[in-house]
Amino acid sequence: MATSYVEYRELTKRFGSTQILHGINLQIEESEFVVLVGPSGCGKSTLLRMTAGLETINSGEISIADRVVNRVRAKDRGIAMVFQSYALYPHMTVADNLSFGLKMNKTPLERITKSIASAASILKLSQLLKRLPAQLSGGQRQRVAMGRALVREPEVFLFDEPLSNLDAKLRVGMRAEIKALHQRLKTTTIYVTHDQIEAMTMADRVVVMNDGRIEQVGAPLEIYDRPENLFVADFLGSPAMNLLSGKVVHNDGRMDFELENGIQLPLPDNSALRSDQQIIYGIRPEHVAFTDDDNGLPVNLTLVEPAGWETHLHADLSGISLRLLSVERVGARPGDSARLAVDTSKLHLFDPTTGRRI
Amino acid sequence: MPSLTKTSNNSTTARERIADLALATVPYLMVIPGLIFVVGVLGYAVFGGFVLSVHATDMFLNKTFVGLQNYISVFNDPRFQASLLRTIVFVVLSITLGIVMSMVFALTLYHVGFARRFFRGMSLVPYFVSGIAAAVMFRFVFTTSGGFVNYVLQQIGLPTAAWLGDPYLAFMVAVLANCWFMVPFATLILLGGLQTVDRDIYDAATIDGASGIQMFFQITIPMIKPMLGVSLIWVSYISFSTFDIIFALTAGGPQRATEVVSMYMYRIAFLQLDFGQGAVLMVVLLSFNTVMSLFYLYYFVLADRRLEKEASP
Ligand SMILES: Nc1ncnc2c1ncn2[C@@H]1O[C@H](COP(=O)(O)OP(=O)(O)OP(=O)(O)O)[C@@H](O)[C@H]1O
Ligand SMILES: [Mg+2]
Repeated sequence: MATSYVEYRELTKRFGSTQILHGINLQIEESEFVVLVGPSGCGKSTLLRMTAGLETINSGEISIADRVVNRVRAKDRGIAMVFQSYALYPHMTVADNLSFGLKMNKTPLERITKSIASAASILKLSQLLKRLPAQLSGGQRQRVAMGRALVREPEVFLFDEPLSNLDAKLRVGMRAEIKALHQRLKTTTIYVTHDQIEAMTMADRVVVMNDGRIEQVGAPLEIYDRPENLFVADFLGSPAMNLLSGKVVHNDGRMDFELENGIQLPLPDNSALRSDQQIIYGIRPEHVAFTDDDNGLPVNLTLVEPAGWETHLHADLSGISLRLLSVERVGARPGDSARLAVDTSKLHLFDPTTGRRI
Repeated sequence: MPSLTKTSNNSTTARERIADLALATVPYLMVIPGLIFVVGVLGYAVFGGFVLSVHATDMFLNKTFVGLQNYISVFNDPRFQASLLRTIVFVVLSITLGIVMSMVFALTLYHVGFARRFFRGMSLVPYFVSGIAAAVMFRFVFTTSGGFVNYVLQQIGLPTAAWLGDPYLAFMVAVLANCWFMVPFATLILLGGLQTVDRDIYDAATIDGASGIQMFFQITIPMIKPMLGVSLIWVSYISFSTFDIIFALTAGGPQRATEVVSMYMYRIAFLQLDFGQGAVLMVVLLSFNTVMSLFYLYYFVLADRRLEKEASP
């Protein structure tokens, strides 16, 4: 029987009169690495803290390893959590930080020594055990925070934006280390982040949250390639997807999309569309390209941002702004006119009233 | 617009260097008058006290050098010995009770957010009304006939007591009044300390399985150690030097039960007009306060392990 390992059923949370989570339903399998993403304030940390037992539950259920944990205390839930601030005990050495939880649980001393030694060797902390947190670099503190989680030998790891205080380079390194650690230990992991790249690269499955609700759950590329609604389409991807509003028009047996300024863009055959139907026409910046074809869309370039490995461009299509992304070096400069082509096989069409994918 | 910085070369001109220097010294210049004032007044009083303590004075303030004679007579006076012992008991009781009360109040306020602002304003009131007023209030509360405490005891059918007439009870009332005076400020200091502790640390300790008591002794106390040290300095300084409260509450009585060193000093210096011996007592109080403060500073503030920067070998 394939039961899920962590399960949320109709979970809600209120702070005072403000509803923060509106009925979360989610199933996470054993050994899965699930990443929660969403804008600031959408309730990611709250969900994680409820899982950890640090926040109460207003209604619904959380179960971990087939056991409803609503009334189980944090230390008995079989979880370990890594905080954004690391939350190390500043007055204790690294060794004491690692062993604090084990001592609280009255673990025999020799087992404590063994756990610490093994966690320290996994995380390359062995040389640092006698130091205080103030004597460590940001990356080292991060490792200690992970070590403290590790020695608890949890059934579920909870990470709340663990890398956001590190500089860009260290972050990439730690990202790989956390992923490698997961592949080695296979511990079920719930990981909260702001960072899309972290979400895309680390996750087995991504959960996109917005305003206390789950918008979409799926494998990273699946969500990227097929966002189910406008929110997900807009949220994932950097630079963000172009979302243009307009309507469907008939041109001698063919369907086209007409922008508010009268310019028409091609539509693929889609029997679901009616003439005059209002739609949102979504196209990712990397699916808009320069063309030599004289029928291409006439634009003026307004901004050229070379990022090294790719170039971000902004173009003006008779008053409507388009973002495009080119992996080739672009010689063009702002003010130049150009012609663009849209890859119609990569379109995302949405209903403007429901926001749902058509 | 002409640029304000020289673009011709990177080396600074003499004029710019002088301007930089002037800019750098301004903060120090502004501190100096205050510093001179503080050092001057304090230094003069302390130095003058030391000088006075090795002299004998008469009614016209004529001084004669007597060496350590004043010290010898003060230390040999049984009344001084008793008052010193009493002061030590008074200070130990006051510190214990005062710090426990401050900690309980600070923890309460920390958890009951809404009262915090109100209390912060209220907590300075005792220092506006002065120790004398506090003592007068305590007299009203503890007066034997018609005092509030005896009234309440009577109403609930318990025996009443002569609070300020009995030596032991009067001493305890003095300790209480002293705590009433110093606890609010100590509470503020501790509350400030509690508020600096990152809540995530408590969350981490909760997950690690620490109970409330373990959390208090193993996380909270070590983390607010510097503030604990500062409030200890405050509490023990006030208790050692307390004068106005006891003066207005019991005036040292009954039967000298509350005659602490500061009361004794008042008696020697201002009633017997022996300024030399009075100065000896000032030196005694100053030494006690200094030693205690240095002790707290060393063990609570400077030894705070979080401040250690270099790795131990
Ligand atoms: N203790 C609390 N009391 C009242 N409101 C709270 C409390 N904790 C969180 N909130 C509110 O709940 C909402 C969700 O907060 P949460 O911390 O879960 O967001 P988040 O998705 O983690 O955001 P971020 O990405 O900025 O960390 C926010 O609007 C926040 O103001
Ligand atoms: Mg958060």
